[in-house]
Amino acid sequence: MSNEVLRVEDADIYVAGKKILRKVNLSVGAGELHIVMGPNASGKTTLLSAIAGVEPYEVKSGKVMLAGEDITNYPLHKRVEKGLVLAYQNPPSFKGVKVSEILKWLRRKFGLDPSFTESLAEILDIHKLLGRDLFSGMSGGERKRLETYLTLSIMPKVALLDEPDSGVDLDSVGRILEAIKLALKHSVSVVLVTHSTHMLNLVRPLTNTVHLIFKGHLVFSGLYDEVVPLVIKRGFEGAAKVLRGWS
Amino acid sequence: MLNKNMAEAARKALSKPAPYGPDVDLSKYDVLNPRRIEPTEILEQERVRDASGRLGFTPEMVRKAGYVQVNEAYLASALVESLRKQGVVVMSTAEALRKLDIAREVAWTLIRPDTDKYVATAYLYGKEQGYFIYVPPGVKVRTPIYTCLLITRGMTAQLLHNIIYVADGAEANVVTGCSIAGLHAEALHIGVSEFFVGKDAKLTFAMIHAWSKGAVVRPRTAVKVAEGGRYVSYYMIYSAVHSLQSYPKVTLGRNASTSLYSIISGEGEGIYDVGSSATLAGPGSSAEIISRNLAKGKSRVVARAEIVGESGPSKGHIECMGLILSDTAYISTVPLLDSKNPEATLTHEAAIGKIGEDQLTYLMSKGFSEEEARALIIRGFLSVEAPDLPPQVKLSVDRVTELISSKGHG
Repeated sequence: MSNEVLRVEDADIYVAGKKILRKVNLSVGAGELHIVMGPNASGKTTLLSAIAGVEPYEVKSGKVMLAGEDITNYPLHKRVEKGLVLAYQNPPSFKGVKVSEILKWLRRKFGLDPSFTESLAEILDIHKLLGRDLFSGMSGGERKRLETYLTLSIMPKVALLDEPDSGVDLDSVGRILEAIKLALKHSVSVVLVTHSTHMLNLVRPLTNTVHLIFKGHLVFSGLYDEVVPLVIKRGFEGAAKVLRGWS
Repeated sequence: MLNKNMAEAARKALSKPAPYGPDVDLSKYDVLNPRRIEPTEILEQERVRDASGRLGFTPEMVRKAGYVQVNEAYLASALVESLRKQGVVVMSTAEALRKLDIAREVAWTLIRPDTDKYVATAYLYGKEQGYFIYVPPGVKVRTPIYTCLLITRGMTAQLLHNIIYVADGAEANVVTGCSIAGLHAEALHIGVSEFFVGKDAKLTFAMIHAWSKGAVVRPRTAVKVAEGGRYVSYYMIYSAVHSLQSYPKVTLGRNASTSLYSIISGEGEGIYDVGSSATLAGPGSSAEIISRNLAKGKSRVVARAEIVGESGPSKGHIECMGLILSDTAYISTVPLLDSKNPEATLTHEAAIGKIGEDQLTYLMSKGFSEEEARALIIRGFLSVEAPDLPPQVKLSVDRVTELISSKGHG
């Protein structure tokens, strides 16, 4: 792939010394949207966290390449500097740390594009959260919108979004979708973990590839229409069997 | 001139230890005779610049301070002239006791000279060094009055008696910085402070301490707030210390209120036994005591807080939080609610913990280095909402908070 920004090569992924995913391969091009699907506890968060470099998730063999650079052994914050950012499924709360303070720091560190961040803030309705403590006392929708904002605002090469739509109201899902669209337009690649059929329906026209994880393997990577309808019809196990001859 | 009875009682109390904090032999420190000196004599000294710089006070701030005390020497600066036009008085306590009835009326009425050996020593040997600030009825002094109490000579005993009197309907903001030159210097600082807040008056008092590994610090503070008055205190210490023990007491009249904030950053092998006490003596009174306590190195921090509900309806709340930054540090919180009236509503919350790994990892996932993430979390922990602080004072507080969080890596 000529415009490839993220490549995971034969990666064995461990959590606290235990192997969770085997020989994972995936490739993401610039400005592409990839969906990662799989049953609960199949390793979707593990995959995203290991790519991002979050401890105790670890790629023990194989490689993670970002824009041609081997970042497998880079610490978490270095990967962010290189342009790879993870949006947490459940970010922790911080008392006394203001949202505005984080944004000020991000601006100083990454020199954010003002027109992009302003559009993003409007789409995600962030302005009224600026004076609040980071994630403290926020509703599900506020937390997810803010986490999506913090992740996308630095306009990374690759954004890893771990269930940004779970536990949020329909309005917030719509806003998060619009934010993803804006990011894609600016050539940000997005790897999205989602369970919701609502979100899956919304992202269908934007999706380049869907990856199916099952029983510790990335069993199939293909087009949306090859994977999603099959999962909806036969469930993860049934889809895995059909797509990969899984038994 | 000492009061005969008080002096007698004080002499008997010279060996009386304080109920809290380690007992200290006071005989090894030098007590010097107070003297008044010229501004140039003080402000050009390198060690003065060193000591005041550690408080985040610029030379300009020291030059403009209402009162500066260096060891036994003191001066009341030019700012006093502008305040005097409004009837405000800033002078040494000794001078005030000679010249002003109000000073003689109130001195030693809130703190008895025989309270403990530290107060007794200050009473008998301090010769009324320290500052006296008087704000006349209805006068609202918006600009903070800075006072600076510095030690630049090793083994000095700095014995002070400070009085602030904010008359009915008046307002004042006082910022006091106490510091020592040299990070290892040995010295003793005893500051006896009596504050009077009149009817519907307001006093905001910020105190910043930057001591040394050898400093023994024993502030003794009592505050009386009359009907409808408000007293806000913001105390910060962010240096090593040999030992610090302080337990200011605030008594509130009808509809009076207080907010007492303290930020303690313990380091080295220092002992920090710091608290606040409020007595809800009048109906409609309210108090909040909020403390943030950091401990690193081998420091030991005891955070005390007490609210006594004597009358009702009244309200009191204690919030006492601790953050341990090293395996060898220690924090103890001792919140005490004491209700003598069924209409007094008293609550407290306390928690001690360490920096959460999940918080560190999260911030690093947004590009912060571990060091930057720690500093941000510590700054967040230390930041308490104190809406009464004037903007200029908040700047000083923010500067010190920044200093604490930037070096708070356990």
